[in-house]
Amino acid sequence: MSAQTGGAARFVGASVKRREDPRLLTGGGQFVDDVQLPGMLHAAFVRSPLASARIASIDTQAALAVPGVVAIFTGADDFPRLPPWWPSEANVPAQHPLAIEDVRFVGDPVAIVIAESRYIAEDACELVDVAYEARTPIVDYRAAGEEGAPVVHAELGTNLVAEMASPPDPALEAAFAGSDHVFKETIKSHRYAAVPMETRGFVASWNKAGGELTVHMAGQAPHVARAYFALSLGLPEHAVRVIQRDVGGGFGQKAFQARDDMAVLHAAMRIDRPLKWIEDRQENLTAATHSRHEQITIEVGVNNDGLLQAIRLDHVLDAGAYPAMPAEADPGLVAAWFPGPYKVPHFGFRNVQYYTNTTARGPYRGPWLIETTVRETMLDIVARGIGMDPAEVRRRNSIQAADQPYQLHSGIVFDRVSPAETLEQAVEMAHYAQFREEQAAARAEGRLLGIGIASYIEPTAFGGGRSMGIEAATIRIEPSGKVTCLMGLGSYGHSVETTMAQVVADELGVAFEDVTIVQGDTASAPVGGGNLGSRSAVIGGAVAGMSARKARAKILDLAGHLMEAAPDDLELVDGVVSVKGSPASSMALTEITQVAYNGADRLPEGMEPGIEETTRWSAPFVTHSNATHVCMCEVDRNTGLVKLLDYVVSEDCGVMINPMVVEGQISGGVVQGIGGALLEHIPYDADGNPLAVNFKDYLLPVADLIPEIRIGHIVTPSDTPGGHKGAGEGGTIGGVAATVNAVADALAPLGVTITEQPLSPSRLLALIEQASA
Amino acid sequence: MKPAAFDYVAPTSLDAALTALADGGYDAKPIAGGQSLVPLMAFRLAVFGQLVDLGRIEELQGVARDGDELVIGAATRQAAIAKDALVAEHAPVLAQATGWIGHQQIRNRGTIGGSICHADPAAEYPATAVALDATIDVASTRGRRSIPAAELFEAAYTTTLEPDEVAVAVRIPVRRPGEGTAIFEVARRPGDFALAGCVVRVATSGGAVIDARVLAFGVGGAPIRLAAAEAALAAGAGVGSQELTAALQADADGLTPPEDAQATSAYRHSIVVHVANTAIAEAIADSQ
Amino acid sequence: MSRQQVEMTVNGRVHAGEVEPRLTLVDFLREDCALTGTHTGCEQGVCGACTVLVDGEPMRSCLMFAVQADGAQVTTIEGIGGGREGLTPVQQAFMDNHGLQCGYCTPGFIVTVEAFLRDTPSPSDEQIREALSGNVCRCTGYQGIIAAVRQAADQLAAEARS
Repeated sequence: MSAQTGGAARFVGASVKRREDPRLLTGGGQFVDDVQLPGMLHAAFVRSPLASARIASIDTQAALAVPGVVAIFTGADDFPRLPPWWPSEANVPAQHPLAIEDVRFVGDPVAIVIAESRYIAEDACELVDVAYEARTPIVDYRAAGEEGAPVVHAELGTNLVAEMASPPDPALEAAFAGSDHVFKETIKSHRYAAVPMETRGFVASWNKAGGELTVHMAGQAPHVARAYFALSLGLPEHAVRVIQRDVGGGFGQKAFQARDDMAVLHAAMRIDRPLKWIEDRQENLTAATHSRHEQITIEVGVNNDGLLQAIRLDHVLDAGAYPAMPAEADPGLVAAWFPGPYKVPHFGFRNVQYYTNTTARGPYRGPWLIETTVRETMLDIVARGIGMDPAEVRRRNSIQAADQPYQLHSGIVFDRVSPAETLEQAVEMAHYAQFREEQAAARAEGRLLGIGIASYIEPTAFGGGRSMGIEAATIRIEPSGKVTCLMGLGSYGHSVETTMAQVVADELGVAFEDVTIVQGDTASAPVGGGNLGSRSAVIGGAVAGMSARKARAKILDLAGHLMEAAPDDLELVDGVVSVKGSPASSMALTEITQVAYNGADRLPEGMEPGIEETTRWSAPFVTHSNATHVCMCEVDRNTGLVKLLDYVVSEDCGVMINPMVVEGQISGGVVQGIGGALLEHIPYDADGNPLAVNFKDYLLPVADLIPEIRIGHIVTPSDTPGGHKGAGEGGTIGGVAATVNAVADALAPLGVTITEQPLSPSRLLALIEQASA
Repeated sequence: MKPAAFDYVAPTSLDAALTALADGGYDAKPIAGGQSLVPLMAFRLAVFGQLVDLGRIEELQGVARDGDELVIGAATRQAAIAKDALVAEHAPVLAQATGWIGHQQIRNRGTIGGSICHADPAAEYPATAVALDATIDVASTRGRRSIPAAELFEAAYTTTLEPDEVAVAVRIPVRRPGEGTAIFEVARRPGDFALAGCVVRVATSGGAVIDARVLAFGVGGAPIRLAAAEAALAAGAGVGSQELTAALQADADGLTPPEDAQATSAYRHSIVVHVANTAIAEAIADSQ
Repeated sequence: MSRQQVEMTVNGRVHAGEVEPRLTLVDFLREDCALTGTHTGCEQGVCGACTVLVDGEPMRSCLMFAVQADGAQVTTIEGIGGGREGLTPVQQAFMDNHGLQCGYCTPGFIVTVEAFLRDTPSPSDEQIREALSGNVCRCTGYQGIIAAVRQAADQLAAEARS
């Protein structure tokens, strides 16, 4: 445990109450829309009402005549094209902030109107006259690869984004041929979205004379955004300052900058006043990224004893018109991490991704989670097919402690994971056997009860030398003895102001109250990777601890010099340095810092004044957490409505800094999974119109629908400095699959198979009626 | 999502409001609670030259008994109706219907007249008003008239009110001895608009149903009477009986429910029988 | 379109101004009164983030125009706790039970729950869930929020008894 190297472990491992809360509970948070700058103007977008069209002309005259309208920019204003996020082998089109000649999805930004208020800007948007020549769009990604399909990006000559496949493998074919059973299904995931309660937003202020751009934003990774802004805008990196104070959720959607984001910044640099753009909810559901629209055809070879022999995946993804993430990321993760917590001797895959005239695919909490949804729902189909209990099938195939380190077909190695243990704990906590008895009794009465299990191993905190895996913390022991820790994180609700302070307080040996974490501002923090990819505890916690240890060593060196004692004989507890075993001989930290900052003549020879330490650390390639979820439900035979009865999670995220925060991440994630499985959906019609672009049509989970979520912990420390593993995304990853499996189990007596979500009452009642017809 | 500009008046007398509406013509629109109107304005699906706010007119507020009728001011807030003692005694299903409307924050602002005049096909109050044989008193500078609820709702979001008319009061016959009422609906989430709902009023004599009103909502443009079921109930068909089930099925087969992001048309068609059965059973139980 | 004079009491202080009739109450509170604790999440009355008390009752401030609140008593999150007296029992319970993460929806929840517990001093679990269902939280999965309301209700009930 991290705390063993510093003072007593008082804070790490405790559910310390959050430092963030008092301001957020009293209206004192500072979100981007709360930023008001003198002379600030407001932006609104004219967006395409058509999925595919050529822009014949744009007339802005009437709009410019509206009193209070300051400027209108269109594609003709030549905002430079967006640079790529990182190198990609995929077919990637030019992305311009505003549509130039063509619009490619409903919501495509066509013009940005700048006015004295958002009200006026929207008035003017209505008066921007755009003449479109409509084209036939390609809406269905499954048809996008067909001969003659409309092409989204003419310059590419194809809708193909990228494809990958495992090499031909005769052993795989032989394993299928030798299996007692082969099951095959196509399991579809529908289109839904991250939907943070706070939409995207910017306040950008260009100081022309000083050549400085200040960007307040609702983001996830301030330094990453700064680098991208500098590159996009042609500014030196140090001329851009990105500030994100409080951020109202992101879940991946705010991790990358989209075309409209960049249009705001380009516009801000062309006017002499600060510019605010706060995306409204309709824009957020129409034009911010969508996620999870894909399908996998899975074949499973299994023997009568339930042992898996071979799995093959054929994965097809919808990229939308302007995917926000490198094309290789999601299908690559699915291919590399399948088959997760189970031992499968033979595995093969193919994936292909297509452009469509729809809103861009973008990351959303566990962007690759179809990996788990498909595997876990298929395991239940297999279990029913061979007449074995789903828990038993998982038990027989789970990677055990003795199997580790366990290497996947992709070369990924699982070590220090506990899928067998979380499975047993979850099944036990769910009173699985008892539920099966209740279920049997209920079925006899014609009621439809179900229980669903889902296990997964989750790659978190990617490292391996890339920027996302590198983080720094600067710890400054202030002249007063108080502690400031500067970090390149970008919390949007992760509690890092609390958790990182817990780590620092323990490692230093000071009170939690005496540590403050400063993050979310490129002007103060060392370069860091922000909050995404379940990285803040693993990588942030590690560097915060390392810097604290360095600072502590210097404090003890200086104290030893001043107290005429060997530093090794000293300890720092609660802000007081004393000789171990003789507390009477002591110095308060403030006395030591006074010397460090104000009495350089008393420093030992060669010691720099002040106490400020920075550590930058590159995390290992990946750190794996794992979990098992169990969901219990009843499906109303008359209405197809699902009532969730109970929900259990057993998880292993290694050493927990703050169990309360971990459980909050899990619960929140689970409910996003439940929402995706049951409620959330953005269907498109055949013309490419999105049909759920407001909160009457896009249904988010509310308290009344959610059962108590009970959480158990298995603690297998990782080999990173704090022993932590990421916990940010797992709840969602397991949440979809466990919910689907519970519902499928409820309907199992009817002999129906569920391969599509969301599990809306319409879909479920149709299945029920079909079975009884 | 900011509304287009409009002028605004908030008269304190009904006459002043009616004059403003008459002067404003098609460009003027009365606003009561605004819980349905303001979102439409935010999306700019609705644009008005002038809003005439009915919220400050005292005579449109409150619940009173007038002979055999309960008279509810059109601008009475839904939350007030939910906890009104007269409503609880004389029109309990109206209070129950209120519980299905949105959430507390909506009911604190939304009004009965606003909901009825908005005529959302999935809303609870219009069907309840028809089921209870309510009458809507309306007024304009041209005079006053009373419209039976059954003649008010033409189609989705369309009533027989003229643009210069406003609802003044909703008159509901007080519950008679032996009467039973109930409302039941199915929605994706609590507080959402109904995928299908049903309001039922039965009259009984000696424990037997002699007359029935069965109003379905959310399954067509306006509240729809399930006439076959009403006839079957009046003829003595009991809950769960083959006659009633066949009648409900026949009623359901006559519907062409809407399809949207929440549910298919087929789904709405499928659940009508269950929803109506549930409400009918509760109404009969309520009459005992 | 003509601007109109509006005057209302917000958190005990009179705020007056000349506004366009179309200005929503939430925008008036946030921009004209500089009370940015009230947030907008959907501007169509579904998410509850903008909930404030108008004459003591919780309402969606995105579904009201500022002119409609002329003469009203409005309480926003800034008028609830946080001053010298510290957090209210409801706010403290949210902190104790991790009833918030990003905090964006939180002011709407606090306002809703303060009014709910005032009107429903000993709520059942079912009543708590129902009362919360007009507010959307995307972070917590509601577990901490439901626990917080339970704790606050129990505490307020105990205080009422003593």
